[in-house]
Amino acid sequence: MATDTAAPQIDVAPPRGWRTWFTQENIITTIVGLIVAVAVIVPLVALVINSFLVLDDLGFDTEWGLQNYRDIFQGRVIKKALINTAIISTGCTILATLLGVSLAWINARTNCPFREQLEPFNLIPFFLSPFVGAIAWHNLASPKVGLLNNMAKSAFGIDFPLFNVNNLWGVIWVTGIFFAPLVYLFVVGSLRRMDPSLEDSARTTGAGLLRTTFTITLPLVTPAILSGAIIVFVTTAGEFGVPFKLSAPFGWETLTTQIFTKAVGDDANHYLGAAMSMVVGVVTAFFIWIQHRIIAPRSYTTVTGKGFRPNLIDLGGWKWLAFAYNVFYVCVAVVLPIICLFFVSLHKIWSGRIIWSELTFWNYQKVLFFWWPESIDAATNGIINSFILAFGGASIAMVVAIIVSYMIHRTKGYGARVLDFLSVIPIGFPGIVLAMGVLVTYIKTPIYATLWILLLGYITRFFPYGQRNISSIMMAVSEELDQSSRMAGATWLTTLRRITIPLLKPGIFAGWILLFVIFLRELSISIILYSAGTETLSVGVYYLSNFENEPMTSALSIAQTVALLICVVIFRKVAGKEALTA
Amino acid sequence: MSFVEIKKLVKSFGPEVAVAGIDLSVEQGEFVTLLGPSGCGKTTTLRCIAGLEHPDSGDIQIEGDYVTSVANEVFLTPEERNLGMVFQSYAVWPHMTVFDNVAYGLRIRRETRAAIKEKTTNALNLVGLGHLAERYATKLSGGQRQRVALARAIVYNPKVVLFDEPLSNLDAKLREQMRIELTRLQHDVGITSIYVTHDQTEALVMSDRVVVMDKGVIQQIGDPETIYAEPTNAFVANFIGVANLLEGKLLGHDGELTDIEIPIGDGSPSIRLRATGAEGAPVGAKIILSIRPEDILLHLEKPAEAMNLFEGEVIDTVYLGNFLDCQVQVGPHEVGVQIDHFEELETGQKVYLSFTPDHGLCLTE
Repeated sequence: MATDTAAPQIDVAPPRGWRTWFTQENIITTIVGLIVAVAVIVPLVALVINSFLVLDDLGFDTEWGLQNYRDIFQGRVIKKALINTAIISTGCTILATLLGVSLAWINARTNCPFREQLEPFNLIPFFLSPFVGAIAWHNLASPKVGLLNNMAKSAFGIDFPLFNVNNLWGVIWVTGIFFAPLVYLFVVGSLRRMDPSLEDSARTTGAGLLRTTFTITLPLVTPAILSGAIIVFVTTAGEFGVPFKLSAPFGWETLTTQIFTKAVGDDANHYLGAAMSMVVGVVTAFFIWIQHRIIAPRSYTTVTGKGFRPNLIDLGGWKWLAFAYNVFYVCVAVVLPIICLFFVSLHKIWSGRIIWSELTFWNYQKVLFFWWPESIDAATNGIINSFILAFGGASIAMVVAIIVSYMIHRTKGYGARVLDFLSVIPIGFPGIVLAMGVLVTYIKTPIYATLWILLLGYITRFFPYGQRNISSIMMAVSEELDQSSRMAGATWLTTLRRITIPLLKPGIFAGWILLFVIFLRELSISIILYSAGTETLSVGVYYLSNFENEPMTSALSIAQTVALLICVVIFRKVAGKEALTA
Repeated sequence: MSFVEIKKLVKSFGPEVAVAGIDLSVEQGEFVTLLGPSGCGKTTTLRCIAGLEHPDSGDIQIEGDYVTSVANEVFLTPEERNLGMVFQSYAVWPHMTVFDNVAYGLRIRRETRAAIKEKTTNALNLVGLGHLAERYATKLSGGQRQRVALARAIVYNPKVVLFDEPLSNLDAKLREQMRIELTRLQHDVGITSIYVTHDQTEALVMSDRVVVMDKGVIQQIGDPETIYAEPTNAFVANFIGVANLLEGKLLGHDGELTDIEIPIGDGSPSIRLRATGAEGAPVGAKIILSIRPEDILLHLEKPAEAMNLFEGEVIDTVYLGNFLDCQVQVGPHEVGVQIDHFEELETGQKVYLSFTPDHGLCLTE
């Protein structure tokens, strides 16, 4: 430089001062970041505030106080619901973990016959609605109309009901078999990708097969097992449909069914509902925090990036027992429920036995033919609304997920850490809790009683699922691929459009279908936020079930199940086998 | 004014200072290498030039225009700077063909279809990949990806090409070959290049000038010969080749030569030696004597006449193919000696070492 002065002279007129901040990247990421922050934080803050408002006896005025919380821990009904929730969550966690770990081990590490054919079936319950599972098991094994009980009666003359799912055990059974795939998914990946030399070295020091399995293999996947178990515990604590169908009508209430009665109906008390949601939310958020902070970071790095061929254990004659066990699981979780629902749906009135001469598709006309004047509005509306919500919700949520992932992994600084935290929060709160927050936040705004409030609830609760799908790929894709594009002269948006998004395409599509599936079967948010005209598929099922019209309920359930199964097939085609394994 | 001017560049990550005030100018067509150990700030400097990092303070000018000036709140985004960059991971886009990868920058610049075709083909031929244009990047070997990245960085004739350790992921043989090719290409195209590496051979072989960095500060700038033969401080001497560094005291100057003394402790008399360097230093000043292992002569018998002779004991020998690496204990010091005549050396054997004064360089702190 000719003049070596302290303050350099600017000879061109470049953008100056605060204007340099206004880049495409900063504007778009800030806007999306703020929207996410508002969508996640406001309902939770509203929930906290409302939980400290106490409704007076007349039900018109409120004052600040702790009475709501006193009611929960001292009132008889709610306290019992709290205990029931704890029993169900614990029982379900034990059952789902036993099922999930054993099935994962059989599939990943033994020579169980036909395991490759069985694997996709083991995962099907993950995609189906547990609420529909509860309806199916109600029709299979309730004392009066249970198909299994009646078959036992006519075949063996057993006079008393052999099975009874209308109690806490029934809820544990159905949630257990439906949430087992969550544990399975956590564990099977670590089992498959484990460095076989870890086990080989145990064998060379003289440990036998079983000893190696119990002292090396299973301890190595313990973090994965614990992660899966915690997710199951939290999911069960927030599960609404199963206890609502199976146990609540028989006097076994849970916190979620109690929250529901406080959100809608004659006896509605949003403030008490908010307080109950707080109790559930604090517990689930605490467990998710433990999983995130303490268990996930302890996962042993048994994956070294190489493709391993895991050691397979020869079970000898026992392999057929393993096979039978796996087939049994698929039967009780997938085959029996669907067959049962199908038969029930073909009757005009369900009495617990199949009457071959009276089979009809009349129920399907009632719930599917939306152009037919005699069709049931709640069902047909539900189908249309659910597809709108699933399509729109999955698309918007994936856009949010891409931007949020980008911010977390490609920008540094405060905003990235805040967003990373914000996108864990919704996972910590069950749908029904978050929905309660959304309800008390927006009840006095125009979006209440529209599809928009449902859309908002869905996206807020579930965008982290899409975000995780994207993030796992984004972490594997080098940042330098984006930077090369910027260096070659492309703007931030062009880079996003031509480099980043094309590279993430498989993850985007897999995430989209996953969200589509979740939204298509969503119940616990919808049940709080719907109103006449904005029913969803699961709300339609709930509506029909409320009239104790099991055949029609089953028909709509089958319709939903078929739609979900189609999604499963597409998902597997697009995402491949390993897409779900954590 | 130089083509690229960096002034007082500072960049910290939290409490950690990566670049602590760097001044550097690069002439047009020059090949400058930033050399240093990992964490020395060389890559951060490069990324500041690229616009991938926002420095805390300082200015960067390219062709007279400010691309970064913290005081004036000027910051051009990477795409506004018209630079090319070759990354360590090559960053060849796997969802595009080789041709599309290279043509990307031209398409961004909205060149005509014919121009894109011609320039891309030329660039690919230049790096010897003309026959692979339609192949997908995932089907290429490491060396081929490297060439695609290079063609992609130069095809739109950027003002400067930045290289971020581009050869470090290649195996030794390929690295040598690419080193030669890169140098040839740079001379042919004559493009201004800033190259970051931790490999001193790369830096010395390829560069017009080498910038040795450590702890965020430039230790020395100079052409490769100067850097190797006349390091200005102990860090440079040690980093460029493995030098023996012996602490001592300056006794006096005698023309171009310097008399020094190296204490070897334990009551033994200090070794008195003659070397070069430390011209301005006063008598009695603390100095560090730097001698390269290949410049030390090893004698089995005490030679009748030799300059700077001292004795030691063999503690270890390592056979390295074309030479023998021998560690000799001299008092408290371990002195490395490289010899190409293979004497029978035994551990514990007494040997004599000597060097000519012009090979010993005195460094002051």
